Amino acid sequence: MQMSNIRRSFGPIHALKGVDLEVNRGEVIGIVGENGAGKSTLVKIMSGFDDGFEGEFLVDNVPVNLGTPKKAQELGISIAQQELSLIPTLTVAENIFIGGDHGPTVASVGQLAKMARPFLDEVGLESISAKTLLSRLSIGERQLVEVARLIAHKPNLLILDEPTAALGESDSNRILEMVKRLKAAGKSVIYVSHRLDEIFKITDRCVILRDGSSEATVDTKELDTNKLVSLMLGRELHTMFPPRDFSKNNTKSKTIRFEVNRLWPDRTLVPINMKIYAGEILGLAGQLGSGSGEVLAAMAGMRDVQGGSITDCYTQENYLPKNAKQAISKGIAYGSPDRKYDGLFLGRSISENLSSPNLKGISNKGIIQPQKERPLVEDIAKSFTIDLTRLDQDASVLSGGNQQKVALGKWLSISPELILIDEPTRGVDVGARAEIYNKIREIADSGKAVVIASTDLLEISNLPDRVICFYKGCFVSELVGEEINSNTILKAITNPESLLLEDAS
Amino acid sequence: MSVLEFSASMVPGWFDKKITKENRIGFAILVVIVVVFIYFAITTPNYLSVFNIKTILRDAALVGIMGIGLTFVTLSGNFFLLSMKETAALCLIAFAMGMSNDYGFILSMLGAMSIAIVAGALQGMLIGLGGNPIIVTLGAAGILYGVACWWSDNLVISFQRPHDAEWLGTGMVLGIPAITISFVIFAIVAELVLRKTSFGRQVYLVGANRATGKATGHENFSMAIKTCIIASVCCAFVAIAFSAQMSSAQANYFSSEFGSSGDFTILVIATVMVAGNSIMGGYGSTLRTSLGAVFISATDNMMVLQGFSSGPRVLSVGLMIVLSILIFAYVRRGSRSEW
Repeated sequence: MQMSNIRRSFGPIHALKGVDLEVNRGEVIGIVGENGAGKSTLVKIMSGFDDGFEGEFLVDNVPVNLGTPKKAQELGISIAQQELSLIPTLTVAENIFIGGDHGPTVASVGQLAKMARPFLDEVGLESISAKTLLSRLSIGERQLVEVARLIAHKPNLLILDEPTAALGESDSNRILEMVKRLKAAGKSVIYVSHRLDEIFKITDRCVILRDGSSEATVDTKELDTNKLVSLMLGRELHTMFPPRDFSKNNTKSKTIRFEVNRLWPDRTLVPINMKIYAGEILGLAGQLGSGSGEVLAAMAGMRDVQGGSITDCYTQENYLPKNAKQAISKGIAYGSPDRKYDGLFLGRSISENLSSPNLKGISNKGIIQPQKERPLVEDIAKSFTIDLTRLDQDASVLSGGNQQKVALGKWLSISPELILIDEPTRGVDVGARAEIYNKIREIADSGKAVVIASTDLLEISNLPDRVICFYKGCFVSELVGEEINSNTILKAITNPESLLLEDAS
Repeated sequence: MSVLEFSASMVPGWFDKKITKENRIGFAILVVIVVVFIYFAITTPNYLSVFNIKTILRDAALVGIMGIGLTFVTLSGNFFLLSMKETAALCLIAFAMGMSNDYGFILSMLGAMSIAIVAGALQGMLIGLGGNPIIVTLGAAGILYGVACWWSDNLVISFQRPHDAEWLGTGMVLGIPAITISFVIFAIVAELVLRKTSFGRQVYLVGANRATGKATGHENFSMAIKTCIIASVCCAFVAIAFSAQMSSAQANYFSSEFGSSGDFTILVIATVMVAGNSIMGGYGSTLRTSLGAVFISATDNMMVLQGFSSGPRVLSVGLMIVLSILIFAYVRRGSRSEW
């Protein structure tokens, strides 16, 4: 497949200003770029969802206009999108053969399952029965089923748009393994991802997009992280993560700010005790479903619990918020892992989003005071580097990174004492990522207590001062200071038994 | 979209909005509607007379006030109450019962209002707990109407003139009917509540995204109850005014016999829909609903003067709902998409 000088504009906005791309058979191409660089638009064009573009598009040296996803599929191009297009109430096999003429007209459940088997094996789902209901699978497994469905169409070119964005480490690895297998089978893959380590692991070449143009196409072998990031940003990014000072990290010199007592969220195996110090970033490491995210949600009153409480060590108050409203009144802010679902009010202005948790504070006897709201919102926008001139625009016009800044920034409106963030930078580009990390550090430095949960190994090993590891709903270990690195964390969250063995020996 | 917004979106950089092909076509449709309307307004005899315009506004008032109430429910993302006319019917009977038994205006009104508040609160509670608004309010409609018929034995309840509610039913201020003035007051107050109060802001936020609303301390449970009460109280007000005007009441006043354009609930939903309030919530205003009510009333009145029978008029209301959904869906196509 070949694309040259692809341009696409929406009204006065030029989303793509000229992109060149070439994919050969059996090649894995990575597409990287910041949010808003045009990755999604490009992917939509390649997969036939968007035909309003200009430029040349060749498949096997023949010019084509895809027009519809169906036509793209006939040409052998299939796409797995960020939002899954599977139906949870059907079985795995039914999902694989749904909506296409690649399946039988009439088949028994058993036959269908048998027919689905080879595709499931191909993506590495050997252990899953094709008769299982999709809703019983993990998100990672669903992602693999989605790909299996695409493979059933026998595509020559597979486009994966951020397949690992919502996945933990081990599920991500399964996806990567699968890409390698597809490559070995002679298929071409276009891999779009924010996770640079994945790009290095599996791609042959990288197309770097910046501001709607293809900035460079480079062999992955010739790249290193710094070079790739500077190509993406158009500038050097010196430090992704703010520096940590482990020397002041000995627990004696720190004050305990909050204490979590025997907190037992549903779906975790055992109650959890932990101390949260003022001025530190505490990281909860764990794979998806390990319980780390659940602990945060429970602390914010967003999840049912069996019991437990939080002690505010300054006021000696002991409580457990029943809902977000109570949590907010206690000064607890909770950044959810899925900003689109419950982090943002898309369709309302950025300004309204930023002041939403603290309507009480900006109103007097139920009347909103613009002279209170405006400065509050502007302060947050300034500190999170959100464009002040766009405050009255719909939040949905922002790119993913800026949306995340709004989703997190809104919590500053309540001047929280305890900030809980689940997945602070999911689906966020490197530039905005660095900004968010710095901001989180800044908040901690001002004496607040910050707890983050993350499945991103790079993030969880470089941002926090202290890390608590979870495995299958259990507390595994606590890492402090120099102990924190990706190896120790990975061991603890994937295979804690090995730690026990080491201890024993 | 309102005329203002459309014109604004034509000026580059005004709202910093994308001017899309869809916007232009939407604007063109609006211009066509306005031109056609003006043409018929001028050519229809007696249409633009002061008397007729007063009639249009008075007709718009009843359906408009209920529409304004319903707009709160719709904006908060709780869809529609299909029990609007039945709530009104029960309040109508309650008020007339009070009046005919000489309880006086105040007590009769309070009685009708309390029934509306209880009916609204119960429906809101069920919706807030996760009940489907369509099913809940359809069921409530049956219950409310059943009680109204049972209570009144399906008879006309009339009370003697003069009574102390006449000022509301047939009274005039400077030659303008009291009900029309009430409509204007309702419209202004509702718009101020939505724009200026934290409750109004909550309505929009919860409507835009219920899950985020919950996460930021704005639960839909209380929102559903509050908005359903507002809608029901508006129903009660309209019922009281209507009964005061007729000096009588019967459970089926708001059903097909009422006015001209068939089912009253559909008419109320039409006022919310035609001016482009988002069905999913989070976007729109009561101002739109008020304009919608006037537009529907003006169209209906025109058709009466042109000699159309009730069939085509009912049809036109249905058509307006369907067309407005299509047009607004088209105009807003892609306006919330990301790239």
